[in-house]
Amino acid sequence: MTGSPLRKRLWQHKAFYLFLLPGVVWFFIFSYVPLYGVQVAFRDFTFSGGITGSPWAGWKYFEQFFSYYQSTDIIRNTIIISLMKLLIGFPMPIILAILLNEVTKVKFKKTVQTLSYLPHFVSWIVVVTLMQRLLTPAGGPVNEILGWFGVEPIQFLNNTTWFYQIIVGSDIWKGIGWSSIIYMAAIAGVDQQLYEAAKIDGAGRFRQIWHVTLPGIRNIAVILFILSTGSLMSAGFEQLLLLNGPATAAIGSVLDVHVINSGLSQGRLSYAAAVGLFQSLIALILIVTVNRIAKKVSDVSLF
Amino acid sequence: MAKKGLKIASILLAATLLSGSLYGCSNNGNSSNGGSSGNGGDGKDKVVTLKVLHNWNGSTGADVDMTPISKVIEEKTGVRVEWEYTKGSEVEKVNQIFTTEELPDIYTGPAWGGELDVIIKAAKEDQLVDLSDKLDKYPNLAKLVAEENVPPALYEKAINAYDGKKYLLLQNQPATDKDGTDWLYGFYVRKDIAEQVGVDPQSVKTKDDLYNLFKKIKDANLKANGLPVIPFGGFHNGWAVGIGNSMFYPTDYLDKGDGTLEHVFFNKAYEDYTLYYRKLISEGLLDNEAFTQTDPIANEKIKQGRVAVLAAHYPAILDASKDYVKANPGSDYVPVGPLERAGAAADRPADLNIQGNNVTVIPKKSKNVDAALKLLDFLASDEGFLLTRYGVEGVHWEMKDGKPAAKQEYFDKFTADTSGKVRKNEGISIGFESIAGRDQMNSLGSGDIWADQERNAAMDNARKILRPNGTAIISAFNPGDVIAKSPQWEMLKPSMDKIGDAWKEAVYAKSDDAAMKIINELRDQINKTGYPDAIQFVNAELKGKEVVKFGMPN
Repeated sequence: MTGSPLRKRLWQHKAFYLFLLPGVVWFFIFSYVPLYGVQVAFRDFTFSGGITGSPWAGWKYFEQFFSYYQSTDIIRNTIIISLMKLLIGFPMPIILAILLNEVTKVKFKKTVQTLSYLPHFVSWIVVVTLMQRLLTPAGGPVNEILGWFGVEPIQFLNNTTWFYQIIVGSDIWKGIGWSSIIYMAAIAGVDQQLYEAAKIDGAGRFRQIWHVTLPGIRNIAVILFILSTGSLMSAGFEQLLLLNGPATAAIGSVLDVHVINSGLSQGRLSYAAAVGLFQSLIALILIVTVNRIAKKVSDVSLF
Repeated sequence: MAKKGLKIASILLAATLLSGSLYGCSNNGNSSNGGSSGNGGDGKDKVVTLKVLHNWNGSTGADVDMTPISKVIEEKTGVRVEWEYTKGSEVEKVNQIFTTEELPDIYTGPAWGGELDVIIKAAKEDQLVDLSDKLDKYPNLAKLVAEENVPPALYEKAINAYDGKKYLLLQNQPATDKDGTDWLYGFYVRKDIAEQVGVDPQSVKTKDDLYNLFKKIKDANLKANGLPVIPFGGFHNGWAVGIGNSMFYPTDYLDKGDGTLEHVFFNKAYEDYTLYYRKLISEGLLDNEAFTQTDPIANEKIKQGRVAVLAAHYPAILDASKDYVKANPGSDYVPVGPLERAGAAADRPADLNIQGNNVTVIPKKSKNVDAALKLLDFLASDEGFLLTRYGVEGVHWEMKDGKPAAKQEYFDKFTADTSGKVRKNEGISIGFESIAGRDQMNSLGSGDIWADQERNAAMDNARKILRPNGTAIISAFNPGDVIAKSPQWEMLKPSMDKIGDAWKEAVYAKSDDAAMKIINELRDQINKTGYPDAIQFVNAELKGKEVVKFGMPN
C-alpha cells in the first residue's frame, strides 16, 4: 500500500475505523443531515412550501419569543432546574461508583449495581405513574408511613413547595446507576500499584479515595461535566412534561416543553424551531466556555 | 493466523453493525407506506384498502380485522377501511400529519378549535382534494356542504372560504330539528351522598349553594374504599370541571353596554369565576389532580366510588359509573340544579351549539380519491347511516312499524357487555359513524336502539330537570370566528390560546392576588399582541348582525 502517511495509518488501523463507522454514520444521518431544517426558524413554515420552499421571515420568530411575556420566566426556570440537576446530580454517580468500589462482597456489589441500573430502562411515563401512586395523599404508601409518625398527609405533586425536590430527586434516582458505569470503568483503570504505595505510606480508606481514586477519575469527570453543561438549557423534556402542571407552572415551565407545545399543539413550527435554535446556540456557547475554563484550570478538555 | 481471523471477525462485526443501522433507517423510511398498501387499483374486482385517520383521542376499534359492518361496506363499495385512532392530543396529531406529510387516505376529526384551524390552513394551502367539481356525482356528499345544511358562521369560515372550491365535508350536522344531541352537560351528584349530607340536588341553584354542597360533603369526612371521598372532580385534564362558568358569564364575548363587544377575559365576571374555582382548590373541594389526571385515573376514582360530584356530559358519567352503580345500587349520579345562568331570564331555554362534530377531508396524497369518495358517499346515504349506527339489517336490527328496532339477541349481548367491546366487534362505534353524513338518528332512525331502559330513563330524567324551558339551537354569529379573521390574529392567537392555561394556573395560585397577577399579566400580553385592533375589527364586522349572547356547553 502506497500513499501519504495519514492514508497509511488509516489503512493500518482499518478494522478500528470500521468499528467507528456506524457511529459516524449515525451522527451524520440523525445529527448533521437534519441541520438543514434549522432554516425553518427563519421562514414562515407552510404545509405546501415545507422546509425549503416556505417564504423567508427573517428574525420574526426570535423577536416573537423575546417579546413573549413569559420568555424570561421560561429561560430562568430551565436554567434553575438544570443547574440543580447538574450541581446536585452530577456528584451522585461518582459517589455511588466510589462506594461500590469499596464494597468487597461481590454478590452484594453486583446486586446493588443491577438494581441501580434498572431505573434507567424504565420510561418516564412509568416512573411518573409510580410516583403518583406512591406519593398521593389519598392512600399513597409514602404518606401512610409519614402518618405513622403523626405527619399530616402531604401533597407532594402539584405543589410548588415540593416541586424541585421531586424533579431533582427522581432525576437522580433514574440516572445514578447508569451514569456510575463510566466512573466504575475509570476506577477499574486506576493502577493498583498506586493503592499499594498509598497503603505503604500509611493511607487509610478515605485517604486512598482522596489521593488515588479521585485524581484517577478526574479527567473523565471533567469531560462529563463539560458535556453536561451542554444540556443546561434543556431541563428534561419528558420528565417536565409529565410532572409539571398548572399548579407548578410558575417554576416548572421550561424551554423544552414550550418548544413542543408551540410546535405541535399550536402548529407554530417556525417559532418552535427558533426557540429550539436559540436553546442550542446557548448550549454551544456554554460548552465552548466551560471547555476553555477546564483547559486552563485542569488541562483537561474536549477539544 | 489467529490475528488474521480476529481481524476478519472484527471487520464482519463492524459491517454487520453498519448495515444493521442503515437497514434500520431504510426500514423506518418505508414504514409510512407499509400500513396502507392494499390493492391500489380501481378495478371492479379488486378491493381497495384505504387508511382512515379517526382523529379523536381515546377512540378505539374492534378486536377483529373484519367486522360484519366492515364486510358489508366492502361488498357495497369495494373499499376496506384500515383505521388509525389518535392516542393523545387531536390538534397535535393533525399538525403532525400535515407537517411530516404522513397523511391518511381520508381524515376525519373535530369540527372546531385548533383541529379545524389546521384543516382550514391545509385547505388554503391546497393540500386537500377540491371536491367542488366532483360533488355532482356524489349527491349524498353534496348535501354535507350545501349552505342550508351548515351553520352560517361555520359555512363562512370553513366550507365556503376558498374562492368557490370545496374541501371540507361537515359530518353529523342534525338533518332536522328532531335530530342532534343534547349531551346534557352539567354537575351530577351521587344520589346516596346527597342523601347522606342532607341536600336535595334540586335545591342547589346558586354558586353559593353549589359551594355549600361541596363543603358539606368535605365536612362529612366520607370514605370510599378506605380513601377520602373527593367532593368535586372530573375526567381527563380537567374535562369538564370548568363548566360552572355559565354561572358567572353568559358567553365568551360580552356586550360592554354600549353595543360593542369585549372578550370576557377582560371582564370582572372572569375574575369572579377564577377566584371561585381557586377557593374550591385551596379548600380541597375540587380534586387537586383534576387538571393533570388521565382518563384511566379519573375512571378509577369513579369506579372506587370516590367522587361525589362530577361535571361533564351525562353519557360519559353514566358510562364511567356503570360498574360502581351495578355493585352499589342507589349510588347513581343525578343532576344538580338547574343552576343559575348569568344574565339569563328564568324562562330562557338552554342555548346549545348543536352542530356537526366531524370534518372529513381527503388529502391530495390519498392513494385513491375515487374510492374514498365512493366510500364516503355510500356511508352518507340512508342505507350507510343505518348500517353504521345500528348494524346489518336482518342481523342486528329489523324494521318494525317502519322504524329500526334492535334484535333482542344483540340487545341482550350489548347490554350485558359493560366494556363496549362486543358492540365494536360487530362494527358499531369504531369510527364509521363519524363519516356517515348528516345526523338522522331520530328522523330516519329511531334514536339509540341499543340504550337500555335504565339509561334512557336516566337521560330523560336529567333532561326534564336540566332543561325545564327546553333548548334553543344557537345560529347567531360567534365573535370568536370573526376575530380569527382579523389581520392581528397571527400575533394574537398564541396569547389567546394561553387563556385556558392561565386560568388553571390562577386557580392553583397561593392567593387571590397571585391569581389576579397571572390573569393581569396575560391581559397585558393579549393587549400587546394586537387585541385592541382585533376587537375593533370584530365590532365593525358584526355591526348590525345577530351575535351569540348566551351559550352553554354541548
